[in-house]
Amino acid sequence: MRCRRAQRWMVAAVDGELAPRRRRTLEGHVAGCPECRREVAATEAVLAGVTGLARSGCEVPSHLEQATLRRVRLLAAAEEEGSVARRWWAGFRIPALAFATAAVAIVAVELTRGAGDRRAAPSGPRAVAQAPARDKPRVVASRERPAPKVAESLPAEPPPELAAAPDLFIELPILRNMEKLEHFEAIDTTTLDDGGEQSNG
Amino acid sequence: MPPDPAQPPASHQALPEAGSAPAAVAADPDVALMLRLQAGDEAAFQDLFRKYSPRVLQFARRFVGSDAQAEELSQDVFVQVFRFRHRYRPQSRFSTWLFTIATNLCLNEVRRPERHLRVDLWNRRDGEERAEGPPLPDPTAVTPEQGAAARQLERRLEVLVAELPAKQRAALLLSRMDGLAYRDVAEALGSTEGAVKALLFRATQTLKRGLREYL
Repeated sequence: MRCRRAQRWMVAAVDGELAPRRRRTLEGHVAGCPECRREVAATEAVLAGVTGLARSGCEVPSHLEQATLRRVRLLAAAEEEGSVARRWWAGFRIPALAFATAAVAIVAVELTRGAGDRRAAPSGPRAVAQAPARDKPRVVASRERPAPKVAESLPAEPPPELAAAPDLFIELPILRNMEKLEHFEAIDTTTLDDGGEQSNG
Repeated sequence: MPPDPAQPPASHQALPEAGSAPAAVAADPDVALMLRLQAGDEAAFQDLFRKYSPRVLQFARRFVGSDAQAEELSQDVFVQVFRFRHRYRPQSRFSTWLFTIATNLCLNEVRRPERHLRVDLWNRRDGEERAEGPPLPDPTAVTPEQGAAARQLERRLEVLVAELPAKQRAALLLSRMDGLAYRDVAEALGSTEGAVKALLFRATQTLKRGLREYL
């Protein structure tokens, strides 16, 4: 056995926590190793000193006991209040749960009924005419909503700069190639309704 | 992450309900006190407090190194005992359960970042007499010189124990307190017996190195 391992086992041996077989091995090593005998003595001394530190008499001040008991009594009172509240809630819980369940059931029935009505209603333009009365005002309202009057918001006359030199502001390609389109003015276009009597030009 | 001080070790929580181990109750009178406390007997709490508060206070003093903090921690330990009294299961020794709570609270205390500032503010100057804890009784100190040497050794040992890493310090103090077996120390630390042996070996080696001149 090496001294290093023997030292590892010494604390447990001093504390009586070493397995009997290892203890015999350690004792055999220590018997023939002066260095480890000194280590065992040092370990015992150190552990005895710490035991003395840990177990030395200690007076508990009276205020400590009083303060602890005060805190414990407050805690016990709080626990008692909590248990009263829990009992009250236990009595109230069943009616509250029944009420909540009934409310959820009513909402669910209403939603299911509404969905069934929507599925049963026909679609298409005729359906609009046959739709229930409660839908009609919404449709009418949307149709009667006045269209935004864009033309009224525009100025009656173009700005003077644009009126004086429109080419500076309009750069559309179709206008630049206007001369190529001129021959289209000569083409007569007819429609079926005209019967070939009117020309477009 | 430090352990929750209020939570006893998992082994306590997984055990069956109180009252299912009459043998343990018969063997350990503290268990009977705890069962009385669980039944609402405040006198049982006072009995437990009077029996264990000196050891808890001493443990906390050695752990945190301050009288005021040790008293606060001792209060907290017994308040937690009362708060979680219904979680106690009589399969374990009461002292193991109690020192589990004490260890967790002490470990939380020494790991708090603001603690270092507070300790520094209240640290005594070198040479000033330490107030916490009476001196160790030393039957071998028959002369004033020997007595002075013993007190010097005791102070040196206190300093060395206080400087140990928190887990080593916890294992060392728990193993010295109240005859807690390594199994109980491991339970209190939420660790294994092998780990406790390793912690104790390292702690003892450090102390031996620090006390080389006295040994």
